[in-house]
Amino acid sequence: MIKRNGLALCLALVLLAVAFRAGHARESDLSAQAGKCLQCHAKEGIRANFPEDGESVPARVIAAEFKNSVHGILDCTACHAGYLPEIHAKKRFRSREQFRAATTSACRGCHSNDQIRGARIHTSFLKRESEGVAPVCTDCHQAHSMTPVSGGKIFTNEKQYCMSCHRYEMDMICRNKERISLKVDLSELEKFAHDKLRCSDCHFGFSQEEHPKRTFRSRRDYTVASSESCRRCHFDKYTKTLDSVHYAILSQGNLSAPVCNDCHGAHAIAHISHTAKGRVLTTQKCRKCHAQVYEMYSKSVHGKALIDEQNQDVPICIDCHTTHDIQNPLTLEYHERIPQMCGNCHANPSVVSKYGLSTDVLKTYLADFHGVTLGFYKKQREKLYKPARPIAVCTDCHGTHSITGTGSSSPPTVKANLVKRCQKCHPGSNENFPSAWLFHYKPSLSKHPLIFIVNTAYRIFLPIMVIGLILQVLLHVWRYAVNR
Amino acid sequence: MKGNRAGEKRMIRRFSRLRIFEHWGIVLSTLVLFATGLSQRFWHLDFSQWIILKMGGIDNVRWIHRYAGVFFSLGLILNVVVAVAGVVRGRWAPSMFITRKDFTDAVENMKYYFGLDDHPAKCDRYDYMEKFEYWTILMGGFLMILTGALLWFPILVTKILPGEIIPAAKALHSNEALLIFLINALWHIINAVFSPEVFPLDTSIFTGYISRERMAREHPIELARIDEGVPAASPAEHPVATSGTSE
Repeated sequence: MIKRNGLALCLALVLLAVAFRAGHARESDLSAQAGKCLQCHAKEGIRANFPEDGESVPARVIAAEFKNSVHGILDCTACHAGYLPEIHAKKRFRSREQFRAATTSACRGCHSNDQIRGARIHTSFLKRESEGVAPVCTDCHQAHSMTPVSGGKIFTNEKQYCMSCHRYEMDMICRNKERISLKVDLSELEKFAHDKLRCSDCHFGFSQEEHPKRTFRSRRDYTVASSESCRRCHFDKYTKTLDSVHYAILSQGNLSAPVCNDCHGAHAIAHISHTAKGRVLTTQKCRKCHAQVYEMYSKSVHGKALIDEQNQDVPICIDCHTTHDIQNPLTLEYHERIPQMCGNCHANPSVVSKYGLSTDVLKTYLADFHGVTLGFYKKQREKLYKPARPIAVCTDCHGTHSITGTGSSSPPTVKANLVKRCQKCHPGSNENFPSAWLFHYKPSLSKHPLIFIVNTAYRIFLPIMVIGLILQVLLHVWRYAVNR
Repeated sequence: MKGNRAGEKRMIRRFSRLRIFEHWGIVLSTLVLFATGLSQRFWHLDFSQWIILKMGGIDNVRWIHRYAGVFFSLGLILNVVVAVAGVVRGRWAPSMFITRKDFTDAVENMKYYFGLDDHPAKCDRYDYMEKFEYWTILMGGFLMILTGALLWFPILVTKILPGEIIPAAKALHSNEALLIFLINALWHIINAVFSPEVFPLDTSIFTGYISRERMAREHPIELARIDEGVPAASPAEHPVATSGTSE
């Protein structure tokens, strides 16, 4: 029983192999007629001329491509009806337009409306065909090297499929008549961070099966809408942006507020770069909208070092303002965070020591009147819900974007500026008043000697006094115990 | 007053009502001043921050400190005016003034503590330790009032004086505060509460009365004077009323 079954299976396999081999042989060979046509049409430079409009189209067919195409088994006359070699010379198209119309009707001879409607992209073409504005089949499907559409056997990936159209110059027209180019430069795209993604990872709803028609009111509408794609992968960044001042503006209906694409780009999304060049580029993104601030920054001690010297220690916009959850810098909460922001670098010896800057600036600020008050106001707001007054922080005296080095102005200018600054919060103060602040110096014999002497005197006298008092108490108790 | 009824001989009047009132005044004002002031000096400690937030925030604490400072200043001025007026009008002897005897008493006491003498120094109305405490608080108090006022009105002060006077005043104010605090906490509280002679509490400043035994031990010269009915100082210079001891 088993032996008979085995024999039947062997026979079936042999038959199948023969049948497959036969089929393959038939596909790989051109028809005799095609061979005849190719005697002329394989020649390079052969063109068909149209007498009426003077235009021409290439008439060359590459044998290998045609042989591998899905139509490789057909005779040439299956499409080019009437072009039998004997009557070839008499047959001519008057214009390019007539030729294009003929090619479509040749295709439609085999491919019925019902069949091509299977691919949804054709639906709108069929509609437009009735209006006479549809593209012809060969605009997308190559004339002699068309490939089978069955299940992506030929398009090894989705990107290839999409690029078969989007490598060409084409536009999407918005309702306000703005045009958006739909051409994608794949070689550019592959240089950037998303080179491994499929098109539909971002353009969701689009695939080899689906290509819905969408219209947008304006170019900006399209940009804002397309930035919604990013959150599918970058959800953490997306939720951060919800807290940002940019999103607040956007949600008020101002479409000028930046969205993901505005800073990161669409297809050319760069990898994170911590090089000086990358940091300069980052400032340029902010500059697009904040040109005035950028001007000030570029002249500041930080901006100059970044732009002129490619210095990587200086802060760029995002170091203070952060990236995705950018806060309104005019709020009290932001103002309170400034000493810590500046301290990130200015209290870090590995950053500022090489420039001869003191790392005590944060400590001395926080320990003095303003710093202590600021610290308590912050706590009071959090724990007692008490509104606070603004207290002078680093930027109030040193400036924000236009910050200059302390050595860049003469001491009298600095002093005069400082008096003006003090008077803003302390009306009536005169030029003596700023010296009430120790300018970030720790008292020493050379800087603020009076305070140094007072502190040192107490530092010596206090322990001596305390030890003396304790000794007196101990002696007293000891004597009392001995006497009893 | 209770002591008074219990027996004239056993309890002796040591402090007048004014002194009791003054003591209460200084207790309350310094408690507030230390709580609000030291918590500002040691602002970084959790305990200080707890105090400050409990008082409703740093601004409240600063204002409470200033008002308590004003109260303390008035008390201090009252004390000095009354004391000086009393001495000038001959109501009582200048018993708080530091004399040569205080230094010899201190040496004598040291000898006693080390067993070189068999009795402690024989002191008058105020012994050298009490005088030390009084004068450090009085002088320190004036320094605190002066520097506190400078810190309260920095804009006004710097119209006349250089700006550095403000941080110098701050350094003096906070260091001196610590000094007075330590004298009070270490010295005064130990002497008035934990000292074996008076434990659990020296009540004389609250009741105004002190026992004859303690008087004999701590202020023998004054006790002798009371028993003999002799005024504290030479009658010619400072005629003293009969109850002259309870100044």
